[in-house]
Amino acid sequence: MGTMRIDGHEIPFQENDNILKAALAANIEIPYFCYHAALGSLGACRLCAVEVASVDPAQKPRVVMSCLEFARDGLSVSVSAAAARQVRQRVIEFLMINHPHDCPVCDEGGECHLQDMTVACGPPYRRYRGRKRTFTNQYLGPLVHHEMNRCITCYRCTRFYQDYALGDDLGSMRLRNEVYFGRFQDGPLTSPFAGNLVEICPTGVFTDAVFRQHFARVWDLQTAPSICPHCSVGCNTLPGARDGTLRRVRNRFHPELNRWFICDRGRYGHQYSEHPDRPLTAQVAGVKMSYREALAAAAEQIKAAGDKTGGLGSTREDLESNAMLQTLLNKLSGRFATFSDPQLETATAAAVAALQSSGGAPSLAEIEQADAALVVGDLTAHAPMMDLALRQAYRNGAKLAILHSGPCLLTRFAATTLTVAPHEIGAQLLHLNEQAATASNASNQHKKELADIATCLTTAQRPILIGVSETMSAPEIAALVQLATALGSHARLAYALPGANAYGTTLLTPTNSTNAVLEAIELGQIQTLIVMGNDPLGDARLGARWRAARQRLSTLIVLDCVATTTAEAADILLPVAAWAERGGTFVNYEGRAQGFAPVFQRAEPLPNTVEVLADLAHCLELTLPDVPAVLNNLFPGYQTPFPGTMGPSLPAPSLTMQTDTTIGTASITHPGHWQVALTSWYGDDALASYAAALVELAPAAAVLIHPTAAFKEGIEDKEQVRLRGPAGTVVLPVQLNNDVAADTIALARVTLAQLGVGHGDLLELERIL
Amino acid sequence: MNKQTPALLIRLWHSLWTTLRHAWAKRETVSYPEIKRPLPGRWRGRIVLTRDPDGEERCVACYLCSAVCPVDCIHLQATQRDDGRRYPETFRIDFSRCIFCGFCEEACPTLAIQLTPDFEMCEQSHGELVYEKEQLLVEGQGKHPSYNFYRHAGIAITGKAIGEGVGDTPPVDHDTNLP
Repeated sequence: MGTMRIDGHEIPFQENDNILKAALAANIEIPYFCYHAALGSLGACRLCAVEVASVDPAQKPRVVMSCLEFARDGLSVSVSAAAARQVRQRVIEFLMINHPHDCPVCDEGGECHLQDMTVACGPPYRRYRGRKRTFTNQYLGPLVHHEMNRCITCYRCTRFYQDYALGDDLGSMRLRNEVYFGRFQDGPLTSPFAGNLVEICPTGVFTDAVFRQHFARVWDLQTAPSICPHCSVGCNTLPGARDGTLRRVRNRFHPELNRWFICDRGRYGHQYSEHPDRPLTAQVAGVKMSYREALAAAAEQIKAAGDKTGGLGSTREDLESNAMLQTLLNKLSGRFATFSDPQLETATAAAVAALQSSGGAPSLAEIEQADAALVVGDLTAHAPMMDLALRQAYRNGAKLAILHSGPCLLTRFAATTLTVAPHEIGAQLLHLNEQAATASNASNQHKKELADIATCLTTAQRPILIGVSETMSAPEIAALVQLATALGSHARLAYALPGANAYGTTLLTPTNSTNAVLEAIELGQIQTLIVMGNDPLGDARLGARWRAARQRLSTLIVLDCVATTTAEAADILLPVAAWAERGGTFVNYEGRAQGFAPVFQRAEPLPNTVEVLADLAHCLELTLPDVPAVLNNLFPGYQTPFPGTMGPSLPAPSLTMQTDTTIGTASITHPGHWQVALTSWYGDDALASYAAALVELAPAAAVLIHPTAAFKEGIEDKEQVRLRGPAGTVVLPVQLNNDVAADTIALARVTLAQLGVGHGDLLELERIL
Repeated sequence: MNKQTPALLIRLWHSLWTTLRHAWAKRETVSYPEIKRPLPGRWRGRIVLTRDPDGEERCVACYLCSAVCPVDCIHLQATQRDDGRRYPETFRIDFSRCIFCGFCEEACPTLAIQLTPDFEMCEQSHGELVYEKEQLLVEGQGKHPSYNFYRHAGIAITGKAIGEGVGDTPPVDHDTNLP
């Protein structure tokens, strides 16, 4: 919107830019601490001093804080002026007065903003000989380490934690030069985005407690652009490895997705690849063997089975391996599926078809711009960064509506919350459809909430509908699509899908294939099953059926990098490289194909899934086409996305869905039976559940019941109850929770697997008297 | 006779005289290894890791020595003790690569790594010249007696809580707003 001069360079600026922002955009370095592109200016650190020439030549130039001064046309700024340099030097000298002599033992050393700025602006020696102020530290949980002495009071932590991520348990205390950043009491930080404090803090107050245990300096870390493998958002990350082990994961800027932040699951979930139980040696019938021997054994079994071979891909494996497994099975005339639960398969397929036909899902940057949003399900657990984007929308005044059955962190910020049992979600969506279409006044017990949500969505300029496909059925997903259509073309639709590559995998999945594979195993039509990165035997709803079916298999071949139930039951186990040890492509919820590069190799390198499949094909004397050829065949015009780029959208043929979209009657009531809702949390996914530090934060196993429902049944808080499901019986304490729907009990994924039920199923609850 | 002959003869006699003089002079050569000459204290020879006055390892595994090493002969891995002290889990110097430049000693912020006046490091193979931490860590404080890094650092260790370091004030009570 104009130009100004900085030290003789003409630089352009946008309207409402401050001098610092404009200078940084033009690659002119002005030292600063407290400014952050996401958090804005505060003027707390006083480091970004510059000299501004006055318009009136008779007046002397003055020193201003560049982050607080708007850029004006024709403004003449000097960063190198002696006065400005002196201010910066004095500011650093004052900041260093109380700074401890910690650099050798500080985890920030080497990537410390304060170190850099001291070298760049500060005096080389310390003149102050007085005593230093000190602070005690707090225990902030297993993820973030607190070392308060190093603080320079830039307020970035509280501005991120409270203002940006809307957390409420970290703040500033006291006054003067004794400002303290911490919690009221020691204890783990509750925000699912707390790990970003590590990156946002310009010095070493908040450091990565997991990285600390096995510390290496930043200059020793091998890094490569990567993609987070934990959910369908596909945040860009930068893993760091040393000596053949993965040490940490940091955020990597992507302008449309995660930008400056990632969630704690992304930052700390990587520990699964260093889990002590991780399979690193091939096994045949429980005996450790060399890779070649195991491969030969597997090939022999597959040869014997011939076309009675089945394959199970995975939503957490990359596009390449799923496509290669499918190709291998096509060559063998075997059957291929990718999900372990047919319901999840149809729901995800419906969601992907909806995303394709609705003209693409909004990116996180677009979600932040929404002015109204309807969320179906617990978004924080299934796509934490979508939750953070919605929190930004909320900060900008968007009205959030949440339709959910179990506990959900976002409800705190919702204008309207509708808590209904899982079976009623579909019916409520249909009611909402009617409301949105005709503003009718259907008689319903949730009339007011529905009317509120409908008004909020219909009056909005940029409404967004977000569904969690794992806890929704295909008809419910279709109902959400109808609602989006009813709202008009300005309404956007997004789904949190189950797995980093759920979108890409679903495109490869034949219709109704999971059921077909499972039934074929049960009928003895599949003798050898190749499971790649999947855990059918540990599935919540169908685990018991899979375990029974496993008895009918002559050979179970498992390719995985974590010790799942399926991997432990495998006849032939071929350990494969974890995501940071290999390259590949994940397709995120928008259909954006993002490549990730291999970061490092273990001391004894493991083959990646594609290599194992190629070796297997070689042993079977089959010739498989190479990966680019396979993918080009599946997705015409496909080009391998280069790691570190924005990621092109996948040129995929559109998925046709023929699912039954009728929603059954809502009232399924059996006396003594309760509907089960999945209560997930952000550290709970197939891979992150092997991360020790995250598991430490997992909520205690309990039966969550709404106080009213509990009162009606005479159940008291903390009382032990017995749950009886198709696969087993579990005794757990009751925990009253206001976020659970009536007639519903919310259970963790682990408990669901023990009981053999899934989200929305019925369960018997029995009081122990 | 050539014009230059007298000058040549003088030169010849001069060198003969010097040789004769040295035949009776005191000998500088010592027969090493029977006789070992004292080396100056700042001699840059075999590298050691020293201990602080409390007898604890001085090295805090900050990685500065390995970063500054021009031949990349230092490898270490940091870890932490339960009492809060950082220390190297492994510390390895490949003396077959080391050029004894002394940069590591200059970089060391805790005065842990020191070069000593010892150059007798002949081995039959390269592998034997890779020294592990057990071979590097010595009992004494080396050239810098009495320095104890943790007494000056801001972090707490067992025996030194926050605010008990050299030049520290007692910690601020953040639970009160009174001045």
